[in-house]
Amino acid sequence: MSKRQLAMVMDLNKCIGCQTCTVACKTQWTNRNGREYMYWNNVETYPGTGYPKNWMELGGGFDAAGDLQPGVIPNLEADYGVPWDYNYESLTTQGLLDNTGAAGFHPHVSPTWGPNWDEDEGAGVFPQDNYFFYLPRICNHCTNPGCLSACPRDAIFKREEDGVVLVDLDRCQGYRYCIAGCPYKKIYFNPKISKSEKCILCFPRVEQGLPPACAQQCVGRIRFVGFLDDEESQVHKLVHKYKVALGLRSDYGTQPNVYYIPPTESPAKFDAEGKIIEGSTRLPIEELEKLFGPAVHDAIKTLKAEMQKRKETGASELMDLLIAYQHSDMFRLDNNYYQQVAREKKRNPLAPVDTRYIAGKFTTKGHGQVLFSGHTTGGHH
Amino acid sequence: MKKLLTTILSLGVAASAALAADLSLTATKVSDQLDAINPDSAVWSKAKFATVVLYPQTAIEFNDKEANEANKDPKGKKAQVAAVHNGKEIALLVKWADGTKNVQGIKCTDTYSDGFAIQFAGTTKKSQPLPYVGMGSVGRPVVVHLQKATDKVYEPNGNKDVSTQINRQQTGFFGKELAEYDAKVASLANTDFERVFVGEGFRSLTEIKDKSVKSNAAMKYDNKGWIGTLARPLKDDYMNGAGTVAATIAVWDGAKHGRNGLKLLSSWIAINLEGQKANAAVVAEATEAPKGDAAKGKAAVEANGCAGCHQIDKSMPAGYMAPSLVNVGGYSTAAYLRESLIKPSAVVVPGFNRNAHSNTPWYNLEKGKRVSTMTDYSFLDKATIEDIVAYLKTLKAEVE
Repeated sequence: MSKRQLAMVMDLNKCIGCQTCTVACKTQWTNRNGREYMYWNNVETYPGTGYPKNWMELGGGFDAAGDLQPGVIPNLEADYGVPWDYNYESLTTQGLLDNTGAAGFHPHVSPTWGPNWDEDEGAGVFPQDNYFFYLPRICNHCTNPGCLSACPRDAIFKREEDGVVLVDLDRCQGYRYCIAGCPYKKIYFNPKISKSEKCILCFPRVEQGLPPACAQQCVGRIRFVGFLDDEESQVHKLVHKYKVALGLRSDYGTQPNVYYIPPTESPAKFDAEGKIIEGSTRLPIEELEKLFGPAVHDAIKTLKAEMQKRKETGASELMDLLIAYQHSDMFRLDNNYYQQVAREKKRNPLAPVDTRYIAGKFTTKGHGQVLFSGHTTGGHH
Repeated sequence: MKKLLTTILSLGVAASAALAADLSLTATKVSDQLDAINPDSAVWSKAKFATVVLYPQTAIEFNDKEANEANKDPKGKKAQVAAVHNGKEIALLVKWADGTKNVQGIKCTDTYSDGFAIQFAGTTKKSQPLPYVGMGSVGRPVVVHLQKATDKVYEPNGNKDVSTQINRQQTGFFGKELAEYDAKVASLANTDFERVFVGEGFRSLTEIKDKSVKSNAAMKYDNKGWIGTLARPLKDDYMNGAGTVAATIAVWDGAKHGRNGLKLLSSWIAINLEGQKANAAVVAEATEAPKGDAAKGKAAVEANGCAGCHQIDKSMPAGYMAPSLVNVGGYSTAAYLRESLIKPSAVVVPGFNRNAHSNTPWYNLEKGKRVSTMTDYSFLDKATIEDIVAYLKTLKAEVE
């Protein structure tokens, strides 16, 4: 367990599935070098197959006894979907059709599956009782990470200062047990470099006082970021004070640190004549209970009560929080905290490596780590 | 005269060792340079081949469902092993059968490579006891040379080659320029997946990237099998090979999702350097045949409740508390088994992170040292210990 824990809260009532977060993450981290197929941040339609396909059925996580459960490593084509490319080059010598009249401009593979293949399908019968909502997902930076527990190489570590879970690419040998061990399938195998990679909670941004790119770019302003132990932070208030933000599939036993405000509002069902069935709601509470556990009932009750209170009295701290007026309130990332840690530990705060091995624990010379800033540290001589 | 005597002595050791199967072999002295050696090198015609049995490493079950399914009933394999040396370098050749050639794809997430590794006992003040066969143990380091059959691997090289990490479609290049870009990217890839590690137990394994080890490994698929070769100096920062070099061999089968612990592994092999005085004690440790009574040992194992934590045969569940002993006789020396009984904390077989099974910790940390939760059986009389060792040595998989 880390000394402090960064957390994110996502308000599902406000997610419109625009994928701006997905794109912010992709352009920042995963559009190159073997990461093309990865979505460190994705937004999937729930109910749906999700990304990768049926991730909730692929194992990993812990059972009630605390034992890591075996899991499956998804297949690129069948489960993630091959990120297809087009032969743009062909357009310099031909039109959209080739000489024979067939498609000259085409994807390099015939796609059979991809992320959001089933976007907006949801469940139920249109128009009577169909429903869905969007579920944005990033790495949960768990307190008890399944990926970390599965790694036989000590290549995954949880940072003391903020609980961010990272892969030390120097130690990773591409065994992929982490992928089987993560119940959220939020750690990915980069086949080009033969190592595992994952969401880093944009730690280089966070250390400079900026929120992760997905949170910063969110047009619905659904994401709150801060330290859980910081009582002034909105994440603390949503998770601990009002208890309206809940972990996703906490039953996997990894103690996730991304929390969700469950969707409370859904339209009423229609009867056979297309008339509103008064008092009905399309979103079955069982589905929410499956995702967020039994605490979802109380969370929804609190949310509704506060909504009512706001209507009646005009005042509700919780509603004010969820309106998300100011980025400066939504994101509480004290820049000085990281500078202080760096000074105390006498190291570069940007070091994306596991400091336990930085001194070359088992090598005679040690292998210095090349850091972002370009200088080398570590190695005992 | 002295030289002649040494030769006679070393021959004597080798001859006695030959009786205990091929856990001892002789590295033929040659005058050739060995640093560029490969499976086709002519020098191998001068070498003597020995048969080494590789057993499935099943101490720990990993959390990959499909891999576990593929390795449900693992069998041992016979490998042909030869060694040569020129006084400065040692070279080994390993030949093993593998019906399919598996090369991990660079556009797949769930394929694995065939490969092999040779592990040498690292430099320590005393050459014995030998390190734990599973990649060493605290205070008894090993050097591991790994070669995998891979396609191109693009290591994050730390050289700020950011411009070449861009997807080719995003470069804005077409035609000739794009071809040049592709060629540049390809030139930065590492096509030879050869790695050297130093470790004191397999979680501690650390890649040696500072070029302080000069080695050359190669592998070739031919006639439904692989031939792997490795050359390295007899002496460097990590190893001090003289007289007798202790080594183990591991092979991986990509078709069975082999990687890391999912491999076939030999016990320690004593390689006597022709022309040098053999280290009789190391040869004896590698080749020791247990003298106890295995039947009595089996009874003692039952009486002492070993099965409470260890999986002893396949009919029992594997459990998390202690390493499975189902194949322990195949890849362990008698000395290691004996030591584990009377000094359980001498080698704490590392496995998953301990929090993978937090309710069944197999060691506790005391003053930074891993203290095994296993009972110390040094209270048993010597004969019983020997009987148990003899029984444990019989626990091994069938050999193909």
